[in-house]
Amino acid sequence: MRYDISHVTVYDWGVPVPFADCRVRLTPVERPRQHVLTARLVLEPVAALAVDGLDFFGNHVLRTAFRVPHRRLTIRSTATVVVEPPPSLEPDPTPVWTAIREATARSRGLLPSDPVQFLFPSRRIALAPAVTAWTAESFPEGRTILAGALDLTRRIWEDFTYAPGETDVGTPLLDAFTARHGVCQDFAHVMIAGLRGLGLPAAYVGGYLRTVPPPGRERLEGADAMHAWVEVWCGATLGWLGFDPTNGIVAAEDHIVVAVGRDYSDVSPVSGVLVTTGAQGLSVAVDVVESPDPDAAEAPPQPVTTTGEPTGTRR
Amino acid sequence: MAPMQLELAMPWGRGTDPAVAALVGGYRGLPGVHDEMIDAEGRVRPHWLPVLSHLAGLGAVETATRFAGADRYLRESGVVYRVYGEGGDVDRPWPLAHLPIVLTEADWEKLAEGVVQRARLFEAVLGDLMGDATLVADGAVPAAIVAGNPEFLRPLAGVRPADGHHLHLYAADVSRAPDGRWWVLADRTQAPSGAGYAIENRIALSRVLPELFDSLGVERLGPFFQALRSGLVEASSRDDARVALFSPGPWNETYFEHAFLARCLGFQLVEGGDLVASSAGVSVRTVEGLEPVDVLLRRVDADFSDPLELNPGSRLGVPGLTEAVRAGRVVVANALGSGLVEAPALTGYLPGLARRLLGEQLLLPNVATWWCGEPAARATVLRNLQDLALAPAFGRSLPGILDSAGVLGARLSKADRERYVAKVERRGVDFVGREPLRLSTAPIFDKGRLAPRPFSIRIFVARTPTGWRAMPGGLARFSEREDARFLSMQRGGRSGDVWVIGTAPATRPEVRLLPEPDAAEIRRDGGILPARAADNLFWFGRYVERAETTLRLLRGLDGNDDGVVEISPDLARRIARLLVTWGAAEEDDDPVAESALWGDGSGSVASLVAEAHRTGAVVRDRLSPDAWRALIDLRDRLRDPDAAHRRDLFGEIEKALRTIAAIVGLAHENMNRREGWRFLDLGRRIERAIGLSRSARRFAEDGTDVDALDLLLDLADGRLTYRMRYLAGSARRPVLDLVLLDEANPRAVAFQVARIREHLAALPGRHGGIPDAADRIVARLTEILAASDPAIFDTTRIEAIVADLMALSDAVTTRCFGHASPVAAATDALEE
Repeated sequence: MRYDISHVTVYDWGVPVPFADCRVRLTPVERPRQHVLTARLVLEPVAALAVDGLDFFGNHVLRTAFRVPHRRLTIRSTATVVVEPPPSLEPDPTPVWTAIREATARSRGLLPSDPVQFLFPSRRIALAPAVTAWTAESFPEGRTILAGALDLTRRIWEDFTYAPGETDVGTPLLDAFTARHGVCQDFAHVMIAGLRGLGLPAAYVGGYLRTVPPPGRERLEGADAMHAWVEVWCGATLGWLGFDPTNGIVAAEDHIVVAVGRDYSDVSPVSGVLVTTGAQGLSVAVDVVESPDPDAAEAPPQPVTTTGEPTGTRR
Repeated sequence: MAPMQLELAMPWGRGTDPAVAALVGGYRGLPGVHDEMIDAEGRVRPHWLPVLSHLAGLGAVETATRFAGADRYLRESGVVYRVYGEGGDVDRPWPLAHLPIVLTEADWEKLAEGVVQRARLFEAVLGDLMGDATLVADGAVPAAIVAGNPEFLRPLAGVRPADGHHLHLYAADVSRAPDGRWWVLADRTQAPSGAGYAIENRIALSRVLPELFDSLGVERLGPFFQALRSGLVEASSRDDARVALFSPGPWNETYFEHAFLARCLGFQLVEGGDLVASSAGVSVRTVEGLEPVDVLLRRVDADFSDPLELNPGSRLGVPGLTEAVRAGRVVVANALGSGLVEAPALTGYLPGLARRLLGEQLLLPNVATWWCGEPAARATVLRNLQDLALAPAFGRSLPGILDSAGVLGARLSKADRERYVAKVERRGVDFVGREPLRLSTAPIFDKGRLAPRPFSIRIFVARTPTGWRAMPGGLARFSEREDARFLSMQRGGRSGDVWVIGTAPATRPEVRLLPEPDAAEIRRDGGILPARAADNLFWFGRYVERAETTLRLLRGLDGNDDGVVEISPDLARRIARLLVTWGAAEEDDDPVAESALWGDGSGSVASLVAEAHRTGAVVRDRLSPDAWRALIDLRDRLRDPDAAHRRDLFGEIEKALRTIAAIVGLAHENMNRREGWRFLDLGRRIERAIGLSRSARRFAEDGTDVDALDLLLDLADGRLTYRMRYLAGSARRPVLDLVLLDEANPRAVAFQVARIREHLAALPGRHGGIPDAADRIVARLTEILAASDPAIFDTTRIEAIVADLMALSDAVTTRCFGHASPVAAATDALEE
C-alpha cells in the first residue's frame, strides 16, 4: 500500500518566544516492510539551526534552534510511504513465550533494535504488579508469544473504553489501567508495561493509521491523528510484530511507522525547551490518503516545497 | 609531649601502661568481625598505640575538651549536610567521630593500589560499553546489564569524551572481611561525594590534636587536591582551561561540600541555570556576559544534566549539554554515563573483566554477588536465599517491590519469600543476590568510652597528569548501632578521619593541608559573579527592604514615637488603603494590621520575608551565616505566630524591624563590597526609593494633615532632623524636601538615586561605556530631584518618579541578568 501523508502542527505561543530548542520526530523511518519514497519537513519561522540526524533507535530527529522571537511555530511534514503486508502467521511460527523471556535476558545483542533495549522500565512505563498480573492471564504456560500477544491485544480492545479527552500524554499508565479507559497511547503503554512485567520485550510505535470513513460519508480533511501501537519481539526468526490494542488488530498495511522507542518519550513528535510565560495553543492536522500507483499515474505526487500553502490532501 | 618518647617509654605489653589499659579496658570486638584497634586476642595493634597513649596522656577531661573544640570548629565553619524529612529539609551539624581510623603505610599502599586498579578497570569497561561494546558481543557482559541500567544514557552511546576519559574522580567504599582483607562494598563512578567532608574532618581533628598529628607524620591531604585540580585543568586541551563545579544547588544534601570544594580548588561554583550549552560549547552567564567554560566537575546526576536530551523533567540541568559533549567542546568530569559501572549487576563480572581488559587479577574483591538474569546464578540465589540478601540489580529501588537497600533472605516470612522467588523467576534481570554485608569495626568515643562500631571508608582516587593518585586517608563512616548494616549519612551515623601513618614519622616533611599556590586563587578579588546569583541578590535586597517599608507603615497605625497615642480614623484609613494597594491586605480585612503582618497576601510582611528567604537561599553561600540564621528565625516567627505574639502585634512589628535591621547590618558588615554586595544594595535602594515615593504621594498630597506628614517623616526616619531644622510643625513643603530631595538624608529618595548612580557606574555590563536605559533613567531622576522647590512635586510628578524607578529595575535586569530571568520550560511533549 502506498500513502501520501501530510501532518501540519501549529503552536501559538501567545507571546513572542525569544528562544526555543526543539527536537522534531515527524519523518517516517525506513524499515523492513516500509519504504519512504519522499519526506520533507518545513519549519516556519526558519530555524537558526536545523540538523537532521538519527536518534539512538534510528528514528529521524531534526534538531532545531530558534533564536528570533516568534509567536507561532508551524511544522509541516509531508511524506510518501509504501507499506508491505506482514508475513503470514499461519500456522503460528513463534516460540513459547517463556523461551522469549530466557532468550532476551541472556541476549548478547545491544543494537538499537535488539529485544533487550525494550525489556526494562522506561520514563513513562513503570512496571506495576497489578498490570503484570492482569497481563499474565494471557500467557498461560506453554502458549506461544504470538497467541499470547493476540489475546492481550483483544482483551485491551474489549475491556478498555476508548475515551478521547479523558487522558492526556501526562496520564500515568496505572491511572488509565485502573479506570480501563484512555486513547491509543494509554493502551500501548498498558500493554507494554504488562509484557515487560512478564519479562517480554515490547516497543512503543508512533505513526499513522489509514482510516476508512464510515459508509456513505466523505473523508474529512485533516481529521486523522497520530496513532500509537505496540511491537512485540517474537523470536529471532520473525523479529518484531505489531499489535494495535486500540483496534484489536495486528498492525499490517494500514499502519505507517514514524518512530519506534521504549515509550512515548522516545517518539514524541515535537519535544524541547523554550522560554515562555504564555499559554500554548496547538493545532494539528493530519491527512493520510492512499496514493495511486506511480506507474499508472501521469506524474508522481509533488512534495510540498513552499511554506504558507493551504494544507490538506492533494487529491 | 612527643609521641615518639611516649612510644619508647611505654611499649605495649600486658599491663605496662595503666592509662592506656584503662582507656581500652572495657573494649571488646564483635564476634567473628575484624576490629581495627585490637586483634583477635584482644591485644591493641601496635600502630594504634601512639594515638591511644596520647589520649591517655591527655586525660579524660582534656580529651573531651579537645573533641568539643573539633565539634565547635565544624559548627562554626558551617559544615552541614541536609536531611530530607517531614516538615521540610533541615541542615544538620556534621557528626564527627573524634577518633581517627589509623592505618599503617604498608596496609594503605596495598589498599590504594587496589582502588587505583579499579579506577583503571572501570575506565576500560566504560570505554568499551559506551563505545562499540565488544564486551557484550563477546558475552563478557550480558546485554541486559547495559540496556537495563538507568545510567546507560542512549543519547551518549558511541560518544567519546573530549579528553578520551570517562573517569576523573573515583571512589570505593571499603571495609574489611573477617580475615582482615579489604573488600569493596560499593563503587562510586557517577559523581563521588565526600572528599570535601574528608578535608573538613581532617582540619577539625588536626587543629585539636596538633602535637599528635604532627609527630605521627600523618599523610597530608593537600597534595591530593592539588593533583586533582591539575588533572581537571589539564583535561582540557586549552592552555588556561576554565573549570567550574556544576552543582544541583543549595537544596542538595551535600551542597555545603560543593561550595567548599569549589573554594578549595579555586573553581567557580555554578548551577544549571548559570550555564548555556550548544554544539559551540558551554558558557557561564555572568553579569559581564557569557564566559566560556572548558571543564565541568559534575555533581549533578547525569540523567538530570540536560532536559533537552536526557530527563525532560529536570530543572537542574543545562539544555544542550549533551550536544556540547557530542561536539567535543566540553570535558565533563565524570563523563555523562559513567554511573553505568556502579551497578551491582556488574560486580560478579569484574574479576573476569580485570583479566580480560587489564591482564591482571582483581586486587580488591567485592562481596560475592550473583546477577539473577543468568539462569545458573539465579538458581544459585534462589537455592541459597536463606543465607543471602536480595537487592536491585541496578542499585535503584524497584518501586513497590524492593527498596535500594534490599532484603535479607533470612528475615523473610514464608509468604514473602515465595513472592520474591516468583518475582525473581519472572524478571531475574532486575535482581542480584549477594552475601550479607559484615562490616569490620573500629573504635569511636561513646559517652567517654571506646566502643566498637561497624564502619566503611570511602577511598578517593583522582586522575592526574601523572596517572591515578589516591587521597591518603578517606572519609570514614560509622554506623550508630553495633549491628547495623552500612547506610548513608541520611540515616544517621558519624563520619571520621582516616590517618595513614608511616614508619619514620619524624623525617616526614611538613606540608600544609591546603594547596598553598592555589590558596591565593581561592579568594581572588573580583571573581565572576554569575548573573543568576546577582539577580537573586538584587531581589533579596528588594524583598528585605519592602518588608521593612511595610513594617514601618504598619507601625504608623500605632500612633507615633513621641507619645501621641491615637491616630485619626482618616489617617488609619489612608494607611489601610496603601497596604491594600501594596497587596499586604485585602479591602475588607479587619483589623488590617494582622493581615498585613501575618496574612498570606503577596505583600504581607510574612510573604515578603518568605520571598527574601527563597531568593536568599539560592545565594546563601554569599550571605553571612548570622544574617541567614536571623532571617530564618524571622520567617518562622511570622509564619506561625502563637497566641502571645498575636496579642502583642505592635511588639512583634518592633521585633521584626529590629531583626531586619540586624540582617541588613550583617549583610553590610560581612559581605565584601564587590559586585555581590552592589546588587544587594542596588535592590534595596530602588525598593526604598519606590516605597518612599509612594508614601509621599499618599501622605503629602494637597490638603493633607499634620498627622499624615508626621507619619511620612517617620517613614523616612526624619522626625528628628526636621525638628532641628524647623521650629514650626510639619508642613508639606519642608517635609517633601526632607523626604524627596535632601541628598544628605539617608532615607530621602534623592539619596537613594545618588547611591544607585554610583552602583551603576561601578557595575559591569554596559557595552563600550555607552549609556543604556538604566543610565538614562538615573540621569533623568537625578535632574528631577535636583529641583529646588519641593512644592512642584504633585501627585503626577511623584507617580512619574515611581514609574521611572520601576523601569530602572527592569533596565538593571536587562543589563546585568540578561537571559537569566525568563523561565525555561522543558518538556518531552509539546502537546501537553
